[in-house]
Amino acid sequence: MSTSKIFVLKSSDGETFEVEEAVALQSQTIAHMVEDNCVGNEIPLANITGEILTKVIEYCKKHVAVVHDGEGNLSSFLKEELKNWDTEFLSNIDQSTLFHLIMAANFLNIKDLLDLTCQGVADMIKGKSPEEIRALLNIENDFTSEDEEEIRAENQWTFK
Amino acid sequence: MDLRLPSKVLEHIFSFVDSNEDRNSVSLVCKSWFETERLTRKRVFVRNCYAVTPAAVARRFPGMRSLTLKGKPHFADYNLVPDGWGGYAWPWVEAMGEKYPALEELRLKRMVVTDECLEKIAASFKEFKALVLTSCEGFSTDGLAAIAVACSNLRELELRECIVEDLGGDWLSYFPETLTSLVSLDFSCLDSAVKLSDLERLVSRSPHLKSLKLNRAVSLDALGNLLRLAPQLVELGTGSFSDKLNQEAVSKLSQAFSELKELKSLSGLWDVLPEYIPLLYSVCPGLTSLNLSYATVQMPDLVELLSRCSKLEKLWVMDLIEDKGLEAVASSCKELRELRVFPSGADVDETNVAMTEQGLVTVSEACPNLESVLYFCAQFTNAAMVTIAKNRPNLKCFRLCVMEPFAPDHKTQQPLDEGFKAIVESCKDLQRLSVSGLLTDKAFEYIGTHGKKLRMLSIAFAGDSDLMLHHLLSGCESLNKLEIRDCPFGDTALLENAAKLETMRSLWMSSCCVSFGACKLLSQKMPKLNVEVIDEQHLTETGPDSSPVEKIYIYRTLAGPRVDMPEFVWTIHKNPEIGVSHLAIE
Repeated sequence: MSTSKIFVLKSSDGETFEVEEAVALQSQTIAHMVEDNCVGNEIPLANITGEILTKVIEYCKKHVAVVHDGEGNLSSFLKEELKNWDTEFLSNIDQSTLFHLIMAANFLNIKDLLDLTCQGVADMIKGKSPEEIRALLNIENDFTSEDEEEIRAENQWTFK
Repeated sequence: MDLRLPSKVLEHIFSFVDSNEDRNSVSLVCKSWFETERLTRKRVFVRNCYAVTPAAVARRFPGMRSLTLKGKPHFADYNLVPDGWGGYAWPWVEAMGEKYPALEELRLKRMVVTDECLEKIAASFKEFKALVLTSCEGFSTDGLAAIAVACSNLRELELRECIVEDLGGDWLSYFPETLTSLVSLDFSCLDSAVKLSDLERLVSRSPHLKSLKLNRAVSLDALGNLLRLAPQLVELGTGSFSDKLNQEAVSKLSQAFSELKELKSLSGLWDVLPEYIPLLYSVCPGLTSLNLSYATVQMPDLVELLSRCSKLEKLWVMDLIEDKGLEAVASSCKELRELRVFPSGADVDETNVAMTEQGLVTVSEACPNLESVLYFCAQFTNAAMVTIAKNRPNLKCFRLCVMEPFAPDHKTQQPLDEGFKAIVESCKDLQRLSVSGLLTDKAFEYIGTHGKKLRMLSIAFAGDSDLMLHHLLSGCESLNKLEIRDCPFGDTALLENAAKLETMRSLWMSSCCVSFGACKLLSQKMPKLNVEVIDEQHLTETGPDSSPVEKIYIYRTLAGPRVDMPEFVWTIHKNPEIGVSHLAIE
């Protein structure tokens, strides 16, 4: 059995997390840092809190485990299992966590996690009116009423 | 929580938002969302090419990869829109070609596409992948050759019911040997024979080819070779199905059909001889879509064929199917979603075509997923419609075309008001309705009262008075397209419901009682509507305001009056002093 290298990820609020190399390297950002030899075994992540990092690591651990089960090609059963796990993972996090996860996945460049979380937000948006989307995501309407009317007319009359 | 997602992340989120409905909502959330959305929208739908200028569309969506455009009003399909009316693709192609060469797909419906246009597409868009033309006209096979020779990444070339100037079958031979990306090819509406060896070579070097729709000139013999080269086909439109083949050829063809393991859709079948219908039996169990609208197959053969199509979801057929044939559909095709029955033109007396309202009733009873119906029939009854409505409250589209104008219920001689009432009352999600037969204003009162989800409505030879239009415009909240011909309604309802017209895409009226004066008033009252009068007899210029107009097409627009009108189309100018003009004068 090969001994896997251990990385220590340090969150912005000082929490440390020990993770196996394979887990850590799911982040392209970390992978590049390691390649460029600009970090030792301890990797500081100044813009990710411990709470969020916990979730990121949870995701990465699960996804490593599944990949290493087969020969690199996931069986359809494993794909299904992973998909269900992902859905469960998403459903257990609140909106604020979701957005912080997106930012973390973006910064750490973890493609699958970014896809999952962005799809999650997209699913929240679908079928909603602009007003509902604003309310849901706490976004301010910064259009003038003329601009808004113009866009609304263009959307309705032309692009519907 | 103050959320400011970087635009790169917003872009990624929006990449999972596909529908235009959702993208339109996204664009209205706030300024940064509007910007990110417009820069990332790839597929743009413009359902009335005159509702907006090409420049405005190109400006808003510079990243557009796929453009869908519709031109002429729907009644153009029934030859009610004169030639030269408009719907030109050129301004769009020109606008995109200049600044947005990344365009990959053009899907046009009821538009005029010239060879010059096709040449411009071929020259401007290096990544061009898909050209789908439905009910278009104005081009020749030379234009097709231009596309074939230049578009090295072409995936789709589909000509659906187009009117093409056919200068021969050479165009197909212009596809270069290096083109291997073809997924879909439909040249079923062309007359001339293409060079078979070139077609075979094209098919054999197209491993991704999923849909192939041949024209009538491709013989049955040739079909066998093509099927052997493309056993992966999912959609097949055959050519003529009537050569006399020898026994060996027949069994080879049968073998070729049985190799089509992926086939889901079948069409073409021109002139199909009854003895060749069994050739199709092996593909029937897998078929979800069958278009027999060109195949003069008689009822007994249809029964044999359809009883093997247990997965069928879409069936287009001629009335040669008769009630008995529809019984077979009812008992075998339980997955049926869409049924269209077209008139064969066969004379009832001569060939004893026995298709009545009963056929549709039987299907409505037995097919729980039936949601879309187009039914041409000589006559109908209220009782039949009541039964259909009761059986199928899930109908979304109901187009009944009783062919004799003003035909009453043939059993009771009553108007068909009660039948349509049952339909709109029961089918709460009905989105499209065509009515026919003898109808009074009451029918339209019912439609206005119950047709709350109705988006498109077609009416011909119906109603008693202006009230009809008033019921519809004031009652049908979701109404988007209304087309009316030969109905006795006039000015009052139109002017009273003027505001409604801005909530709709378009209104077409021909051979009604709308006066020229009302058109002028309407146009002045509603600045964002284009009120166009089609007047081939040139009465508008000289007649009094009270004279009725032949045809009127009203649509909302952000582009102002159009500048490409022919001399028989008048736009009512917004300035009352200028009055009527052919051109958009500022």
